[in-house]
Amino acid sequence: MTRYGMVIDLAACNACNTCTVTCKVKNGTPPGVHWRRVLEDEVGVYPSVRRLFLPLACMHCGTPPCETTCPTGATQKREDGIVTIDYDLCVGCQACVVACPYGVRFFHEDRRSYFADRGSPVPWPLEGQALPEGVVSKCDLCLDRVLDGRQPACVENCPTSALHFGDLGDPRSGVCLLIAARKGRQLFREKGTDPSVYYVD
Amino acid sequence: MQRAGTADDAWVPTTCNGCYNQCGILVHRVDNAVTEVRGDPGHTNSNGKVCAKGVVRVLDLYHPRRVLTPLRRTNPEKGIGVDPRWEEISWEEALAVVVQKLEKVRREDPRKLVIANWDHGQRKIAAVWAAAFGTPNTAGWTPSTICGNGEHPLLFAITGTINVEIDFVHCRYALHWGVQKGAMVDSDANSVSGRIAAARRRGMKLVVIDPVCGPAASKADEWVPIRPGTDGALALGMLNVLLNELAIYDAAFLQTHTNAPYLVRPDGHYLREPETGKVLAWDASQGRARPHDAPDLQEPALKGQYTVDGVVAEPAFQRLREHVRKYPPAEVARITTVPEETVRRLARELGENACVGSTITIQGKTLPFRPVGVDFKKGVSGHLHAFPAGLAVVLLPVVLGAVDVPGGMLGHREGPWSAVEEGPDGIAVGSARYSLGDHFVMPYPADHVGRPESADVRELFPVRLHTGFMTLFSLLDPARFHLPYRPEVLIHCRTNPMMSLFEPRAMAEALKRLDFIVSFANIINETVEFADIVLPDAHDFERTDLFPGTFPGYVPGLADWCWALRQQVVAPPAGVRAWSEVLIDLAERLGFLKELNELGNAVWELRYPWRLEPDVMYSAAEIAERQIKSVVGPEHGLHSFREHSALRFPRTVEEAYSRPFLKSRIQIYWEYLLKAGQEVAAVARQLGLEWDTSTYATLPDWRPCPSFEEERRDGYDLIAVNFKLPFHFSTITAENPLISELSELHPYAYKILIGRRAAQARGIQDGELVTVESRVGQVRGRVKVTEGIHPEVIAIPGTFGHWAQGMPIARGKGVHFNALVPMDLRRVGPLSATYDFCVSVRVTRGSEARR
Repeated sequence: MTRYGMVIDLAACNACNTCTVTCKVKNGTPPGVHWRRVLEDEVGVYPSVRRLFLPLACMHCGTPPCETTCPTGATQKREDGIVTIDYDLCVGCQACVVACPYGVRFFHEDRRSYFADRGSPVPWPLEGQALPEGVVSKCDLCLDRVLDGRQPACVENCPTSALHFGDLGDPRSGVCLLIAARKGRQLFREKGTDPSVYYVD
Repeated sequence: MQRAGTADDAWVPTTCNGCYNQCGILVHRVDNAVTEVRGDPGHTNSNGKVCAKGVVRVLDLYHPRRVLTPLRRTNPEKGIGVDPRWEEISWEEALAVVVQKLEKVRREDPRKLVIANWDHGQRKIAAVWAAAFGTPNTAGWTPSTICGNGEHPLLFAITGTINVEIDFVHCRYALHWGVQKGAMVDSDANSVSGRIAAARRRGMKLVVIDPVCGPAASKADEWVPIRPGTDGALALGMLNVLLNELAIYDAAFLQTHTNAPYLVRPDGHYLREPETGKVLAWDASQGRARPHDAPDLQEPALKGQYTVDGVVAEPAFQRLREHVRKYPPAEVARITTVPEETVRRLARELGENACVGSTITIQGKTLPFRPVGVDFKKGVSGHLHAFPAGLAVVLLPVVLGAVDVPGGMLGHREGPWSAVEEGPDGIAVGSARYSLGDHFVMPYPADHVGRPESADVRELFPVRLHTGFMTLFSLLDPARFHLPYRPEVLIHCRTNPMMSLFEPRAMAEALKRLDFIVSFANIINETVEFADIVLPDAHDFERTDLFPGTFPGYVPGLADWCWALRQQVVAPPAGVRAWSEVLIDLAERLGFLKELNELGNAVWELRYPWRLEPDVMYSAAEIAERQIKSVVGPEHGLHSFREHSALRFPRTVEEAYSRPFLKSRIQIYWEYLLKAGQEVAAVARQLGLEWDTSTYATLPDWRPCPSFEEERRDGYDLIAVNFKLPFHFSTITAENPLISELSELHPYAYKILIGRRAAQARGIQDGELVTVESRVGQVRGRVKVTEGIHPEVIAIPGTFGHWAQGMPIARGKGVHFNALVPMDLRRVGPLSATYDFCVSVRVTRGSEARR
């Protein structure tokens, strides 16, 4: 069965943050909302030190705690594995924000714009008008594109090809081969969420 | 995404202008609005990818503070933080004022006009416009220093190109030296990041030499922290190990492809054949001196001493070997803080991986295989003596024969026409046609030396690439250089020298010396605040540029040649015009359209029947159409760019790996600098200038930056350096709301980086507010305590700390590194106008420096 997911090549990621802003432009998310981010931290002691980079977004978990927590059924896991939010059903209770171990869900308090004193015709989607206020949002793997047979926008733009999208349900898919060849691992596997995002070194 | 059925929905191929790399992009236009940017899979410099800086440019089009109408200053007082009190005026009113000012200087002395811009594509129109107007003063101000003035002239002399890239398809061992290539920084930033990631996966070892462990060093196999400004010493030490301890070098390459066998007299000059003036080499097989190009020269000697007609002469290579003995690894370790064993190991790893003597067969051609590369940028070239330092660095791949061969350092050529040419004495130099229409000054032979006629005093820098920022020195003190006129009028576009050079107070004084400034602007930045007239400029998504609009973004190796076009995606807002079109309009109003078109025909290489008529006003798009037909072929035109941003042509092996097929020789010994230095010294004496020409030397030496000596007293005990972030470029990105937000979230972007031990010694906690003070300025910001920095160094990224009223998003965010850098002639490298950005500082807790 189809199970869409991603493999993130940590050896290739150089923290350029193209994915971070590509996601924002493509999805029109408001200020403060980052469906994707690249976390940075450093390890080691001078001079044996380096920064580590961790691209982070919704894991589209096999057993998503957000879905089980959601009181209204707004959060649903589709048959193809993509976890979505129905904004009509979401009441903004934020139980899912608390339930998610990855911190990748965002509550929209108000409809803020990047240009506070807008006097110019900012076109869709930059105003974030598709995202109503008072709801929670997150990465949907660019569902519209996936249904169109395309890749998520972040994957398409990633300059070092660190992001790979594909069908985890197909053992011959590129993502499955990568996971097998380079010992892909899930983040916080011990929490039993069974993420559809794998990391390889 | 929700736009099915709309009337206007198109992906328009064009060229990004978000940095100098000029990537091919596809811009999504929906109902005449730009909504998205992606990489163009049809251009090799993007391969369908685009970086953060390119993605966010959608927002710049719709910035609410965008200048949409001409403005006139009503407050005659100019200064930092002084409100110009703009009043909106019509285009006709604005142009009437501009024409009046330009008419006056053109009548009196056209050289009184200076044009400062850093606009890829349109600068080619601006340069021709300036020449037709009659002024030589067209160089941008910013590029002279953010660019590698210590790098570009050297590379033009070695690969014939402005930049290089290592052949990551074949390379086994790469040294990145003061450059963050691979982390979305430097030339071809976008696609080379992918190539480096792939090479590392293949097993290439990458070593990054840098005082700061940024993203590039973090991705490397090894980070080698180095004391700022000592790169030349490390390179000379490594050369010493290679040539004298290990004896690893490519003798065959040095004999055939360099001036290593040229005989040098005791006075340092070449030994020449008296009758022909040809430089001699010693033929070991014949036991006599022969001209370097004699067909019977079989075995040119690289070592030893030879007596020719009573003169004791040595091959240049012998000189180099003896010269670098001055840099024993123990001494190098003391200078650089790189441990002695590391100096030796880096040299050995580089030498052994060069596989000297091995070959590789590509497409049936057997070529030398030298899979080691060295690349360097501002970390090396942002110093007073960057020219000799850079020369020492670049001699490493040269002595190993790893230049323009598979695996080695490859020149960034843009097309078959930009080949290496042969200059006097058989010496290699870049083609005058490099980057069509740019007419870069090549470093060899030395350019004319004389009393300054240009505002940027280029006549004192015969091996420069560009010296535009020197205009500021001549503005502040015209008498010093005996300039025969005073610059009075400035045309300014798409550069922000107030932020991107040195101490703003000095910059402000220089700008105030001008009688009249007209700025073409998208937004009102710190430099535009000094303008008398502001004209609204089109975004590059709103204009078409000359073809090919680019030079740096060309992928080396066997990648296709790509000739790229920037073309209009959307029309500019009403009342906004591309600045090049306004220049053409002004040429007509000032009565020199004929001169502009005739000069344009020559410079832009327009051929019959596509030459410009003398009295017709053409748009940039019309000129581009004619240029495409002239340069590529009559079957092509703007219509050739409907699907993709570039025309592609296959590259031959000879074009991709050109060195084995070239006859010209690379200089390891820069003999001509002796005469050039003497000429500069003579002019400086005439002018009464203190001008150190001792670095006009045939072989490089390391010398300390001023910050190691006179400046490093009175508690100025740390060295401040600047570094680049993957998602910022110059002053272009800071006002973008998405990049600004990302930077605020980022652990390093808007911070002052300090080492843990240095912080502890000063009682400074992570996240604390500190003041950084140099002898000329102070900046405040929050610290990021890190292990990833040389212990003697603090580091400040980007060009931040904006204060312009027209930049509400960037204002007050981050730290302005350049405010710490003194404007001081003693910081100007005498060879190619490098500038020393190495600053001694002291750091104190809190927001007020101690007095």
